[in-house]
Amino acid sequence: MNALLRAKEVTKTYEKAQRPSLNKISFCVADGEFIGIMGASGSGKTTLLNVLSTIDTPTSGEIWINGINLKQLDNASAADFRKDHLGFIFQEYFLLDSLTIRENISVPLTLQKLPPKKIETMVQNLAKRFDISSQLDKYPSELSGGQRQRASAARAIVKQPSILFADEPTGALDSSSATELLHALQEANQELHTTILMVTHDAYAASFAGRILIFKDGNIIREIFRNNASRRDFYESIAAEVAKLDTERQV
Amino acid sequence: MNTTISMAAKNLRKSFSFYVLYLLSVSLVITLHFAFTSFSMNQVMLEKISSDGRVESMCSMISIFLMAFVVFFMTYSNRFFLKRRTKELGIYALLGYRKTAILSLLTFENVLICCGALCTGVLLGAIMHKGIVAGITALLRLSIDTAQIPFFEVNAIRKTVCFILLVIVVLSISNGRFLFQSSLMSLVRFEKKAEKNMSFHFVPSVIGLVMTVLGYVLALDIFRGRKSLWLSVGFYQIGLLTAMLILLGTIFFISSFLPYVMKNSKKNKRAFYTETRIITTPNFVYHIRSNARTLIMLTLLSAATLTVASVMALTLYYPIASVSRMAPSELEFRVANENQINAVKRLVNQYAPGAAVTFIQTDIYKITSSSASLPMEYSAGSAKGDSQNEKILRDIGFECISYTQYHSLLLAQKKDTIADQIPALNDTECILVKYQPNADGSDESGSVYSLNTDTVSIPLTVRGTTLHNPISFANSVGTLIVSDNVYEQIRASAAPKTSILSINGKALEDNEDLFADLSALLENSPYLQGNSHRLHVIFSLNSSTFLLIGFLVVLFFIATGSILYFNNISALTDTKADYEILHKMGYTNKAIRKIIKKQVFTFFCIPFTFGFIDCIFATIVYKTGLMQNLLGNSLALYVPTIIAIALTASIYLFYYWLTVHSCCKIISKL
Ligand SMILES: Nc1ncnc2c1ncn2[C@@H]1O[C@H](COP(=O)(O)OP(=O)(O)OP(=O)(O)O)[C@@H](O)[C@H]1O
Ligand SMILES: [Mg+2]
Repeated sequence: MNALLRAKEVTKTYEKAQRPSLNKISFCVADGEFIGIMGASGSGKTTLLNVLSTIDTPTSGEIWINGINLKQLDNASAADFRKDHLGFIFQEYFLLDSLTIRENISVPLTLQKLPPKKIETMVQNLAKRFDISSQLDKYPSELSGGQRQRASAARAIVKQPSILFADEPTGALDSSSATELLHALQEANQELHTTILMVTHDAYAASFAGRILIFKDGNIIREIFRNNASRRDFYESIAAEVAKLDTERQV
Repeated sequence: MNTTISMAAKNLRKSFSFYVLYLLSVSLVITLHFAFTSFSMNQVMLEKISSDGRVESMCSMISIFLMAFVVFFMTYSNRFFLKRRTKELGIYALLGYRKTAILSLLTFENVLICCGALCTGVLLGAIMHKGIVAGITALLRLSIDTAQIPFFEVNAIRKTVCFILLVIVVLSISNGRFLFQSSLMSLVRFEKKAEKNMSFHFVPSVIGLVMTVLGYVLALDIFRGRKSLWLSVGFYQIGLLTAMLILLGTIFFISSFLPYVMKNSKKNKRAFYTETRIITTPNFVYHIRSNARTLIMLTLLSAATLTVASVMALTLYYPIASVSRMAPSELEFRVANENQINAVKRLVNQYAPGAAVTFIQTDIYKITSSSASLPMEYSAGSAKGDSQNEKILRDIGFECISYTQYHSLLLAQKKDTIADQIPALNDTECILVKYQPNADGSDESGSVYSLNTDTVSIPLTVRGTTLHNPISFANSVGTLIVSDNVYEQIRASAAPKTSILSINGKALEDNEDLFADLSALLENSPYLQGNSHRLHVIFSLNSSTFLLIGFLVVLFFIATGSILYFNNISALTDTKADYEILHKMGYTNKAIRKIIKKQVFTFFCIPFTFGFIDCIFATIVYKTGLMQNLLGNSLALYVPTIIAIALTASIYLFYYWLTVHSCCKIISKL
């Protein structure tokens, strides 16, 4: 297996916290994988994403992405690394309010210093894929929640990052907008081969992934593989697993 | 009430740096207020510098200004800090606090802050007042018993306290209105309000540009001299029109033209799709709606400040600079009888025994001329525009002195370089001393004037003109410098003669007692002129004006700077989330700082640039239209204006640096 991301004994303890939020976590992600991360609130999912994406630094342990050890990056090179390799989607659609949707999506490409013509065609094509072509010249405040979230997904994917981090991207969406977004992510994963790490509470959203990591108290307690199962079957097994966790908690 | 106090105290502790800023700005304002109030109540001082009540009336006018300013500034910063805390207040309301309880919390905080600011303000203000008194005393060489002036003027403290109480009441009313008018919902979600999308049209933006340019062109029209609209239509009408054009033009320029240009600059793809521009340009366009008003206010404020500063500097500097023409010698008088000369020499010797003093007696011969065109100096009835000498009437005619006398007078007056530059004269040439340059820029060089003595007529060609008169205008206007031979010829004729004695020497400078004695000796002759004496008169007449207006200018600066500072900080805190996104997208800290710098820069640049241009044009109009032109258009005259502008620029730079620094500090916590 060709590992794109490798985490080894990653631990994160926040200042003044008694327990670590991440407790010696190790796992690998292959190129082109779609990973779902689940777990109770406070179990360390966001912390993991922050640490993996150079926004935060782990207390101990090592992380490699594309063969680069994140430890070796200083502030400026970490920024460059994010610029070149990483994409983000957040629970609150984090668009820049003062920029139009087109400008918002253009920012990462501009940052990579692509020629304006190329930027415009890339934005146009991706907008079509995410079905927001007609919204490109509007401001974020003029869009619906679902459209905004797709716009921010488009912004994350447009530069074709090695890894896309999504923290509860469907959290604020109704089911049909959520489905549209998930389909878009799935397409990006299958056609552009974007590697995706997606945090979600929702078994339905998770069923779009190929593998699920389940967190509890800063540890990975289970892994569920899809293994060519249909999405419906996979959904059933995730739901069953989540239910089991819930009953365990009650006991 | 107890919970209110503990809550207020907790708040103060929690956001300490926030309040420190507020406290500092309020202290600053109170310092100024107290220093000024102390000054205007300082009888000892006022008795000395004001003889006719002018200073008192100016003080009371400025004190009204000052109070209006303090109220404006405090309401502005109070509103600013209130907005920063709206969410917190909304949460209190959600938790069940009544609005009256929240209002009393706010009022209590204001009282705390004002008390703190009052203590610092009174202390610093008293020190500042001491400084002002010391400064004026030194400048005017007043003899003041400083022990008579109390450090804390009790009346001033009482007045300041009353005023602050009033301000607190005003603030509470303003806070109350804000609280009771906004719903709970809008309190909690206050920061989230989206800006309305604006479209910028071609017509108003072009109107803005055209009006501004037209205003400036109209201002420049004053250079056309007699033909200009300023003279043919009327100075005040055109002045008003120009001011209106520039005012309206500026408003449209900022609210329409700039965003229009910015929006269209996006079409230049190559420039737009860059790391910084793709963020800053849309940001500017998006926020212009809420920023335009502030920007316009700041622009007008700084234009006013700069113009007042520059015009004032010019008005004050001009008479000082022209003393070298009004009274070129340290002492000079018209000799009425020969006995005076010895008496004066004795007196001077008493005051400066053994010092190097030159006495030069110049005989001036008045000669008429019959040439067709004669310079205006020939027929001038008096030294016009010079308030002290206007009453001295003169007969028409040229007043001739010799080349050698001119040369030695210039040397005695320490104008060596000018003395070296005067061209040698032959017997058919002369040099004309101008009162002021001709309005149309022409020059008499080359004209031929025939001097009529009782025997012959001497035709002389003007070799050149000069503004360096060797003798004061009280004693000679229309001075003509002729060669020594011609002078001898004139002396031989029976031309009317006046004798002038010019006295120069470093030891005589700044000696008011000598001047007073001399004046008594010469029976208050209006022909007695003195360089240092003139300067002294100007200083004592104007220093209080200078001081008070300077005070106002400083106030304006503080207002503009603080508003710029608060505005930028507030804008940045509102969009902090945006910078977080940029950070996550891979913007380096350096690039983010660059974006912040650029945004803050625009905010500082627009008011300053406009203020600067307005000030330049206003100064030009003022100088050309309303001021006398004794000194010609030498660049040296603009030195005070340049200093005023440079000072403003450095104050702006300082505030810019402070703002960028604070903004970057907020962001560096990402
Ligand atoms: N900045 C922080 N400082 C201190 N502790 C933190 C910080 N951020 C998170 N924690 C703690 O770390 C633990 C993991 O938090 P994390 O945000 O990773 O949870 P999560 O799995 O994303 O939860 P949720 O599903 O609610 O988003 C929590 O116990 C939390 O209290
Ligand atoms: Mg989370």
